[in-house]
Amino acid sequence: MNYQFKTGSRRWAMKRFPLLDRLAVVISRYNSTLLLIMAFGGVALIAVLVIRDLSAANAEARQMYSGTVHGLQRIGELQYFAQETRRATLYALTTEDSNLQVEYADQSRDADQRVKDGIAEYGRQASHPEETALADRLKNDWVDYLKIRDDVLASILEGSTGEAVNLDLHGGVPAFDRVRQDLGEAKRLYDLEASRREANLIASGRRASFRLVGILCLTFLLSIATVWVIQRSRMWSTIELARMEMEFVTSVSHELRTPLAVLSSAADNLADGLVEGKEATRKYGGILQHQSRNMRELVDQILIFASTEDGKRRYNLQSLEVAPLIGVIVADCARLIKDAGFAIDQRIDSDLPCAWGDRAGIAQCLRNLIGNAVKYGGSERRIVLRAYIESLHQSDQELRISVADRGIGIDSSELTHIFDPFYRSPRVQAAQIHGTGLGLSLAKRIAESMGGRLSVVSELAAGSTFTLHLQIAKGQETQKDATVSRPSPITIQ
Amino acid sequence: MVIWPQAEAARVSEEWPHSLEADTDQTEPLAVVINRMNSVTNLSFDELHRIFLGSRVHWSDGRRITLVMRDPGEPERKTILHDVCGMNENQFKIHFVQGLFTGEILVSPKILSTPAGVRKFIFNVPGAIGYLRLSEVDDSVKVVLIDELSPDDRRYRLRMPLPSVKSE
Repeated sequence: MNYQFKTGSRRWAMKRFPLLDRLAVVISRYNSTLLLIMAFGGVALIAVLVIRDLSAANAEARQMYSGTVHGLQRIGELQYFAQETRRATLYALTTEDSNLQVEYADQSRDADQRVKDGIAEYGRQASHPEETALADRLKNDWVDYLKIRDDVLASILEGSTGEAVNLDLHGGVPAFDRVRQDLGEAKRLYDLEASRREANLIASGRRASFRLVGILCLTFLLSIATVWVIQRSRMWSTIELARMEMEFVTSVSHELRTPLAVLSSAADNLADGLVEGKEATRKYGGILQHQSRNMRELVDQILIFASTEDGKRRYNLQSLEVAPLIGVIVADCARLIKDAGFAIDQRIDSDLPCAWGDRAGIAQCLRNLIGNAVKYGGSERRIVLRAYIESLHQSDQELRISVADRGIGIDSSELTHIFDPFYRSPRVQAAQIHGTGLGLSLAKRIAESMGGRLSVVSELAAGSTFTLHLQIAKGQETQKDATVSRPSPITIQ
Repeated sequence: MVIWPQAEAARVSEEWPHSLEADTDQTEPLAVVINRMNSVTNLSFDELHRIFLGSRVHWSDGRRITLVMRDPGEPERKTILHDVCGMNENQFKIHFVQGLFTGEILVSPKILSTPAGVRKFIFNVPGAIGYLRLSEVDDSVKVVLIDELSPDDRRYRLRMPLPSVKSE
């Protein structure tokens, strides 16, 4: 489904993705920096995952290497000390010196103790039943060999060399062969285990590679999606701005054309001599006066907005008495209020301190708020204007001027948009209530330029209350003539 | 059996100057040690005499006796030769040469240079018998009683003089 709108001769068309468009609107509202930060966070998270994965693979490889080295060393030591046990025993045969024979016997016993320890260690570290069974068998075979070895040693030391040789040939050699076979079997099992570990490591490395490629692809896709969403949000912002500008132009044209049509018609009637008599002339003069004033206000509004937009607007901040100023503003709007059939209820607290602000700015703000209250005030046709002091935290205070109506109210979903330039509620447009969409935006900008702010509380079909928050002047001279002087219109430099 | 000539015994007694029985405070017991697996616990002095002269060659369980001696000239050996064999070094050598020649003695004693060597030898050979100063005995060997007397007993006969300390 496509939606289109025209800007002059150009035709904009955009494929619609509701969820993405909503995301794009949110992003365009809160700045695409947020999305970049999110994308950076995502990439950082992925980097952490990659590093963790690599570390795990590295640790696994290290473990395998160290296991291989230690295992080989263990089996190698077992083989070496078993041979050493036998070698020392046989060396004792080669001498008749009892001292040397005792020394060889001692060496043989030292070596056999190392073998016993090695077998016990092998049994403790056996991870498979096959290895455990082998450890038990090796232990038993070694004990059997040692019994014969002890007899051989005893015979050698006694001097019965022939008996020693006989014992060794018939008992020692077969027993030691069994030990040697057991050690060979241990090495074979260890090789099997090492092969299995190596296969696991290769598989693990392959899995890590796949994961890495997947993560990189994900990162790439995430980056593309981020760029795409940012581009789309910018495009959406541009289109939205263009749309609002178009609506603004249409609205302004309409707003200008209506009084112009009235003025033209009245001028034609006067020129054609259709208006006779003082009463009729006065009536036509009033029409001309009213319509030209409307036109002037509209043009002023546009110019003021333009000046705030490009920063040309300068405010003369000073200490101001609020009550007289409100009186003047209400008097200015009296005709508007009366023509619309509204009544205004002023509730100005006594002993209000002076506010810190620009006279023309405050007047412009309040005129816009009163104008809106009249425009959207509904059938009850009553406006309440309050001026009061509100305490803030840490004993600070501020001066508030609120304009409340009992009109159509604002939907909660629109509250975040109503201060956007050119924004007009679809509901208001449907009701054919004319406007430029600049009033609230302008009022907000002026309030903030004076160091204050503009807030709104609204309930649909119950009315709205707009409040201008102003700083209280401290140690400033109060302008006593505010009650008599009319605020000059905002000037454009 | 080899006969110990009385005249030789008298001569040996003259060559051995110590009066051991009169000066027991300056002597150290000489323990007779055997393999721990050997079931013998006591030997009479006469049995000891016959074993060290090679007259008795088997234990009561039939195992062959292997005699372990220290190097010639060692005080322990001198003590054994004097107190047990009643011989001096030459007489002992001649006795064994004669015995081996006539076939009355089957195996000559094993000579070991150190007390540790003696201990290790006896540990390795089930039928071995030797001697050590009591202070050099450890758990690897078993001490036998002589005439039901342990080396700690004051009446124990095998004693050797302590090394003399020269006074300044």
